[in-house]
Amino acid sequence: MNASVQAQANGAAGKSVINAKGLSKTFGGGAVVALNDANFEIRPGSFVSLVGPSGCGKSTLLRLIAGLIDRTNGELAVHGRDVTGPRTDVGMMFQKATLLEWRTAVENVLLPTEMAGTVTKADRKNAADLLRMVGLKDFLFAFPSQLSGGMQQRVALARLLQTGADVLLLDEPFGALDEFTRERLNVELMRIVGEVKATTLFVTHNIAEAIFLADQVFVMTPRPGQIASIVDVPFERPRPLSIQTSPEFNTLVAQVRDILGEDH
Amino acid sequence: MSDFTSTTDTRFDSRLFRIVPHLILFALILVIWEAAVRLGFITSIIIPRPTAIMGAIAELYFVKGTIYHHFFITLTEAVVGFLIGASVAVSLAVCSALSDPFKRYVSPYAIVLNVTPGIALTPIIIAWFGYGMGSKIALAAVLCFFPIFVNTLTGLLQRDEDREELFRSVGASNAQIFRKLRVPAALPLLFAGMKIGLTTALIGAVVAEFSQATEGVGVLMSRFSFQLDMASSLATLLSMTLIGLILFYSMEFLDDRIVFWRRETRRAAASRAKARAWNARMGQ
Ligand SMILES: Nc1ncnc2c1ncn2[C@@H]1O[C@H](COP(=O)(O)OP(=O)(O)OP(=O)(O)O)[C@@H](O)[C@H]1O
Ligand SMILES: [Mg+2]
Repeated sequence: MNASVQAQANGAAGKSVINAKGLSKTFGGGAVVALNDANFEIRPGSFVSLVGPSGCGKSTLLRLIAGLIDRTNGELAVHGRDVTGPRTDVGMMFQKATLLEWRTAVENVLLPTEMAGTVTKADRKNAADLLRMVGLKDFLFAFPSQLSGGMQQRVALARLLQTGADVLLLDEPFGALDEFTRERLNVELMRIVGEVKATTLFVTHNIAEAIFLADQVFVMTPRPGQIASIVDVPFERPRPLSIQTSPEFNTLVAQVRDILGEDH
Repeated sequence: MSDFTSTTDTRFDSRLFRIVPHLILFALILVIWEAAVRLGFITSIIIPRPTAIMGAIAELYFVKGTIYHHFFITLTEAVVGFLIGASVAVSLAVCSALSDPFKRYVSPYAIVLNVTPGIALTPIIIAWFGYGMGSKIALAAVLCFFPIFVNTLTGLLQRDEDREELFRSVGASNAQIFRKLRVPAALPLLFAGMKIGLTTALIGAVVAEFSQATEGVGVLMSRFSFQLDMASSLATLLSMTLIGLILFYSMEFLDDRIVFWRRETRRAAASRAKARAWNARMGQ
């Protein structure tokens, strides 16, 4: 396979975690172009936001990287290895918490470990620590129906971290939550991914949120779905919420809005 | 802690309070019934007095104790029939859920079995299995098969794309998705089917007894009816009600504990048990 050899060579250079070249995905035998000719490199430990209107291929791009769907064309490698299916070094979190209601919070967090093999005492301790990290130390044995929407997403985040993956894909993870909870969780997310030194791709509809969290913003446009532009965000992470009122921040918001056109 | 007891107390009080009108109504019905028979509006051969039924109950259950032997015969027939019918139903449902061709080949038979009045099989089943318990167990098994099969299959065929995607993203195999996702998700419906099935199994056992048998509450009841001893006959009918209640609530008990996550009180208890098990395991 030429593509994977190429990808391995890229990975060996050690400067990027995710490599995409001419990456495309069509559905319905080419009727719907969900993602067209995406080219990018993502540096280790960086935070990338994907922003764009509905149907521009954000989820499709994440699913491709997660190995949940096969690409139609192009190259895609994570850690220099061609993506052929779901992998342990890539983890994904969805808009819905998708917790299992017959499992306690900590049992839900342990699900990825269980799927990979036997659960050790160290795994259990790790799961409990992760729940503490996301602020749920008193809710280890609560069932999902006993938790609020925000708490359920925290469990889902802990479960994502439990995979041990260093590439984290988050598809509108807090999209269904209220403004306050979302803002709080965003700040915590920034701290946590910094702590675990993960490379993160984060999908959102919200331009300010995208810029606030990220080192790079992939601005995507629909029909066909594509990455229209990649905007660098120069601020140090982690950042205070107050940065959103600075003139530099607002210049970036205007710039992204400009690329998206009248849709936003 | 005191909070807990007080809520339980008020709940108990209000439950007691709600039950009172029901008791009054029931007592009223009995009194009118008793009066109607005594005043000659109803012939006691057709409908006996409540006090006569109570007398028959005392006789059957306490003085002679005739009922118990038959009671356990019928209970055994219904339970064994149910266990056989449920095992076959669940196995076929699991196979149908796992394999589309299997489902296509089995479904027509299941549907034919369902639309054929199961009770009409009684003479055939008695011809096959004889006058003993075998034919009662067989009819019970046949009658409880369909509701359990359909409910279990429906439960297993529910697909939640989001959750399956989550499972796949953490590298789960199809077998893992089935065991850890589809089976637990199907349990509420499976138990709903089991509850219906247990009731229909009892119907099967009793109907087969009515037809041809030497023991069981069905036999006892038809014997009393032939003797025009309606009071004893109705007293025997009550024993069937009792069997039905025992079966239903045993299943309800299991349902509550196995599908614990649907009820607030059971969830809380499960939560505490999980915490204890965890702490024991983690050596704290
Ligand atoms: N399984 C599928 N089969 C057919 N078409 C699909 C499938 N998944 C996605 N699409 C199409 O691909 C396009 C991109 O979809 P995608 O879900 O990636 O958009 P998105 O940017 O995530 O949108 P949203 O913001 O609404 O989540 C859409 O036109 C969608 O209809
Ligand atoms: Mg999407």
